[in-house]
Amino acid sequence: MALEAFKAGDALTMGVELELQLVDLTDFDLTPAAADMLFLLGKKPFPGDVKPEITESMIEISTDVHTDYGALLGQLGQMRNALVEAGDRLNVGICGGGTHPFQRWSEQRIFDKPRFQELSVLYGYLAKQFTVFGQHVHIGCASADEGLYLLHALNRYLPHFIALSASSPFLQGVDTLFDSARLNSVFAFPLSGRAPFLLRWEDFADDYFAKMESTGVVKSMKDFYWDIRPKPEYGTIELRVCDTPLSVERAAALAAYLQALCRMLREQGEPVSEDDYLVYNYNRFQACRFGLDATLVHPRRHQTLALRDDVLATLAQLAPHAAALGSSGALEVLRRVAGKGNHAGDLRRWQSESGGLRGMVDAAVRTFRGDEP
Amino acid sequence: MLDAVANSLAGMAWPLALLLAWLAGEAASRWLSLPRVCAYGLAGFALASGQLGLLPAPAGTPVALVADFAIALVLFELGQRINLNWLRHNRWLAVTSLVEAFGTFVAVLLVARALGLAPLPALLLAALAMSSSPVAALRVANELRCSGQVTERMLHLSAFNCVFAVLVFKAIAGYWVLTSAGGLFPALWSSLVVIGVSAGIGAMFGVAVPTLLRWQQRGGGNATVIFAIATLLLVSLTHALQFSALLAALVFGLVVRYRRIVFSGADRGFGTLGGLLTILLFVFASATLSWPQVAQGAGLALAVLAVRTLCKVGACAAFAGLSGIGWRKGALTGLALTPMSVFAILLLEQTRHLGIDVFSQVAGLGLLVLVLELLGPVATQRALILAGEAGREEGRNGA
Repeated sequence: MALEAFKAGDALTMGVELELQLVDLTDFDLTPAAADMLFLLGKKPFPGDVKPEITESMIEISTDVHTDYGALLGQLGQMRNALVEAGDRLNVGICGGGTHPFQRWSEQRIFDKPRFQELSVLYGYLAKQFTVFGQHVHIGCASADEGLYLLHALNRYLPHFIALSASSPFLQGVDTLFDSARLNSVFAFPLSGRAPFLLRWEDFADDYFAKMESTGVVKSMKDFYWDIRPKPEYGTIELRVCDTPLSVERAAALAAYLQALCRMLREQGEPVSEDDYLVYNYNRFQACRFGLDATLVHPRRHQTLALRDDVLATLAQLAPHAAALGSSGALEVLRRVAGKGNHAGDLRRWQSESGGLRGMVDAAVRTFRGDEP
Repeated sequence: MLDAVANSLAGMAWPLALLLAWLAGEAASRWLSLPRVCAYGLAGFALASGQLGLLPAPAGTPVALVADFAIALVLFELGQRINLNWLRHNRWLAVTSLVEAFGTFVAVLLVARALGLAPLPALLLAALAMSSSPVAALRVANELRCSGQVTERMLHLSAFNCVFAVLVFKAIAGYWVLTSAGGLFPALWSSLVVIGVSAGIGAMFGVAVPTLLRWQQRGGGNATVIFAIATLLLVSLTHALQFSALLAALVFGLVVRYRRIVFSGADRGFGTLGGLLTILLFVFASATLSWPQVAQGAGLALAVLAVRTLCKVGACAAFAGLSGIGWRKGALTGLALTPMSVFAILLLEQTRHLGIDVFSQVAGLGLLVLVLELLGPVATQRALILAGEAGREEGRNGA
């Protein structure tokens, strides 16, 4: 089956998907409550979309298509409130964060749905180890070729999203010293990493994808776990490197940042080259490991620069675009993050203040509710 | 010489009984897929003084104190898992709790009266029937590594109906003392004051122990030991003062949950210590029963069993939709609340000092307790498995 046509639509629309953790409010471990949550949420209209994820202690929400940051933030807030209310009725805590700090992946139950069971058989323990939680942001593209251009032009900014969203310092009970340990789990999959450097949709669909499909390794775009991938049926490109932040406010700000970046890249239309990817994996590692304190290598100028400075400079550069899009508030949120630190830092602080990982998850649950931790 | 041999044999009675019960439990689990605690109970009953006679009558012996310690640990753990905020967010769960507990009380009272039981024994029986033994519930849930709505609701409802049972039972027992022995003071003493002071002692421990822990070390791994020692102290203290160790331990756990500056590393079921004490607890509880107590009043026992199950299943199913789960899961929650024996026996054991022998007053209670000791945990186990909440069994590694 050939890759379906790219349903090009309005440029710079955006949509957000968040994978969320369901936690037990007694021991703060993950709890397989997805089916009960979905049952209760199914009783009244949900302000968005909610569906199960691969293990029973995850749930995924997604927004409608938005052009306006305020509307996106509003819908995310409504979905958050509906989830929190359902969680209260079932004694289940809901929280963000790219990993659960001490869950044991061997104890996760795979959600009872054919695709998930197939993945579980194929990937074995990797599927359970994939109990990680990400934010995906879709950006609408006016054409398929524009989508591929943006996908590759964004490569230099990818570390920004990793560092600003990073919220997974702990894994299996220990501090990994990474700000985003989640991406290391994603990297274990054979089809992860970056998309091939192809800028024309015909080359991508008829050549690359068709060849890959004939090898039998992939059946659909879903089988690629790339950092950014095209999503032809939506007419979007999908950024997948963000950890789920601890609050929906930050999730909305990250989406607006991507929207403003895409606006700038579209206007500038600078040519992209495959050599931009020479430093890609190194920069990506730096951002995962050190977060905002990372040191990047500029893909063109080959000079080192502090990620934090690069973020602040980009935020300044984006100001007119954000003003045009009505998302200046989002950039302000991210400017504060760049100054005060990301959620990984908050988690580490809560861990040392409360004397344990359970106290830390408790604080994360309260943060997601919108309470002060 | 003969005396010496008999004495040393008597000294070995309990360890031997524990060994036999453990073997029976492993056999039941491996070959019949039954909860281990069923076999512990059966072994205890078979080995008791009235039956095979290996065990001396345990009531009032030091073993009773150890059994109290064992159930106190369970109630402490249960208390830690109780989230009172849940009732605030889900009022229908609170309604479920009240209806299933007091509905059972009224229904059992009516049935017992209809079958000719005198008012006071009927009241005591009805009070006991309210409770769902948290020991079996928690043990089965831990053994199967359960988590989900049925598990959570079973544990919460079990904790609440035990508190109601203690309240009502103590009040009726106080009334009994009032009418049969006279004196207003002992009656009030045995109900209200006991309950208030027991809860107060538990709360005091709940504040003191986390403070001690925090001072001792930040988030260290010794929490389990300290909580176990504190519970032991709590049981001895409440015994000496003749307060309710059951309530005190439950409140202790509850307050620790809310005072949790250091989050406890107490592993589920107190690990190996909990495992050993569970065997002892079930053997002890059923060893207090004797054949003559069990052999009579089958009609009453079966009627109460049926009515009690119906009330719990009915109430939980009726309010399931309003409290946010499907009626099937609601009914399974009610079914999971079937166990009552260990808690009821310990409650009776702890009111011995009031001079009430409920077993001789209520023909049929012995059989009811024995039947539920065996069937209760099975009902819980099946309910949790049917609800799809059982994880991998402890100790069995998936390939």
